[in-house]
Amino acid sequence: MKPIIALTKGRLEKQFLKFFQTLDYDVEPLLNKGRKLQVETDQFSFFFAKGVDVTTYVENGIADLGVVGGDILIEHQPDVYNLFPLPFGECRMALATKDGYIWPDQKKRIASTFTNITKEYFKNKGESVDIIKLEGSVELAPILGLADAIVDIVETGTTLKENGLVVEDEFLTFSARLIANRSTLKVKREQLVPVIEAFKKGAKET
Amino acid sequence: MMFLPAGSQDETGNQISNRLRANEIFRNITEERNFKPISTPVIEYANTFINPVAGMDLQNMLKWFNHEGDIEVLRPDWTAAVARAVANQHPSEQKWSYQGSVFRMDKDGTESRQAGIEMVHTDSFLGESECLLTAVYYLKSLSINQYVMELGHTKIFEEIIAPFPFSDKDEEALRIAMHDKRTDLVEQIVRDLGYKELVEPLTNLIDAYGSKEMIERYEQIWSERPELLTILEELKNMIQLLEEIGETEVIVDLGRVKNLPYYDGMMFRGFLTQNGATCFSGGRYDRLYKQFNQETTAVGLAFDVDILASQMDQKQWKEKICLLATPKTHAVAEKFRHEFRDKIVDIRYEITNNQAYDKVYDLVEDNSGYKVVER
Repeated sequence: MKPIIALTKGRLEKQFLKFFQTLDYDVEPLLNKGRKLQVETDQFSFFFAKGVDVTTYVENGIADLGVVGGDILIEHQPDVYNLFPLPFGECRMALATKDGYIWPDQKKRIASTFTNITKEYFKNKGESVDIIKLEGSVELAPILGLADAIVDIVETGTTLKENGLVVEDEFLTFSARLIANRSTLKVKREQLVPVIEAFKKGAKET
Repeated sequence: MMFLPAGSQDETGNQISNRLRANEIFRNITEERNFKPISTPVIEYANTFINPVAGMDLQNMLKWFNHEGDIEVLRPDWTAAVARAVANQHPSEQKWSYQGSVFRMDKDGTESRQAGIEMVHTDSFLGESECLLTAVYYLKSLSINQYVMELGHTKIFEEIIAPFPFSDKDEEALRIAMHDKRTDLVEQIVRDLGYKELVEPLTNLIDAYGSKEMIERYEQIWSERPELLTILEELKNMIQLLEEIGETEVIVDLGRVKNLPYYDGMMFRGFLTQNGATCFSGGRYDRLYKQFNQETTAVGLAFDVDILASQMDQKQWKEKICLLATPKTHAVAEKFRHEFRDKIVDIRYEITNNQAYDKVYDLVEDNSGYKVVER
């Protein structure tokens, strides 16, 4: 049975394809997939999902391997083998607020999609804050007065800048990572180990 | 409408039939192997499971405060509960078997059913062998033949890092990174601590899983490490015993670390080949009894009965018979039951679905009374 690999849709998808092309595997069906969510190549079965769903599929053994952002793994702590970093999808986690913002003399309100990472960050700083969970466009929160600051991913910093926000602190760096299901890594090791080794070699050479 | 909380479920049909059948076979097999049944209460004090030795996470338990302010939980684990229950018994060889639910919020379904065995005050090899041979025999009895058995050992990682002083926090971080097979983090932790000579042994150990040939490879690598060779010998002896018994495929993961603090020696798991589901897990946990001031040996394993039931053959285990009677002949039909030993016998007054039975019989009057005639 072919290895089943879950891939994160969107930004990571394009970067993965570029990386995958360097590994001498057949990428043609992936490049021409159109809007299909499942793609078969000679060697693999691929499917595409949101990052957090990739971890769910791998954890439950639907996929043997997954490619997902390190931010998702730290935030959601899925029960998977978190094998090694891949040479793309680099970004940082940052605390950002309005340029020149004067912090209130009271408990801060922080908006974020990454509530667990935010909680851990302020816990390590020894500070109590109220965390507001948002699903996207978190940059809006300080501008519209919902929160004092945000904790979010920063890749180039352009989005923050264009919305009048500045980075107060950067505290984690991530890249995409290869993850594996805890059982199928052993049961399907004959098929999976060569793939993992190819990814590892590709990651070192990039 | 009445609804169920998330994680709870009703069960009917094959799943429940298979589960009851799995329970029944387990009871017979463990009885034949001289295990005594034990049952512990569903409600226990949290401290039985969250003390530093048992080391389970309170967050994942179903819990509440009792009227005295103590935290009580629904049993999240059998092993710690059995240890509490039998710790004060006479320290002679004990073989216990149990069946029942465990409740944890970090697992799908909140409630999961387990069946397991525990052996206390027993020769180490005998205890481990008996656990694994019971597993082999039990799975065979359920007609589950496609599985892989994995062996690991807590002391491999512990011996490798022993010469290097670690704080409890650093050791735990390293153990978690090994548990996740997270090569880059393992390397970072030991490099940051200045133990660069540990980088290669540990990152290689992460990939040391596979067939028994892995042991031979590591016998060469660790040829100057007698304490590690002794552990490999233990694993080899167990594999040899399993191979002598039958067709069980055995693999090893030399880089496996304990995921609960009480594991203390050989660890084992069974994976179903079809979908990779973990159908049993267990290992040695002598350390668990030290909290009760007992220097002893203890080993056990637990089967995930829900997973076994979902894997069992869907076919009817017994032939299903319908005896067609009337209110007048019901007593006669009841007397005929004994002629269909080891079969399911359903007495009905009418039948709408012949497919529901393997055979349907009418009660027909003859000279001497009644006889059954197959349709």
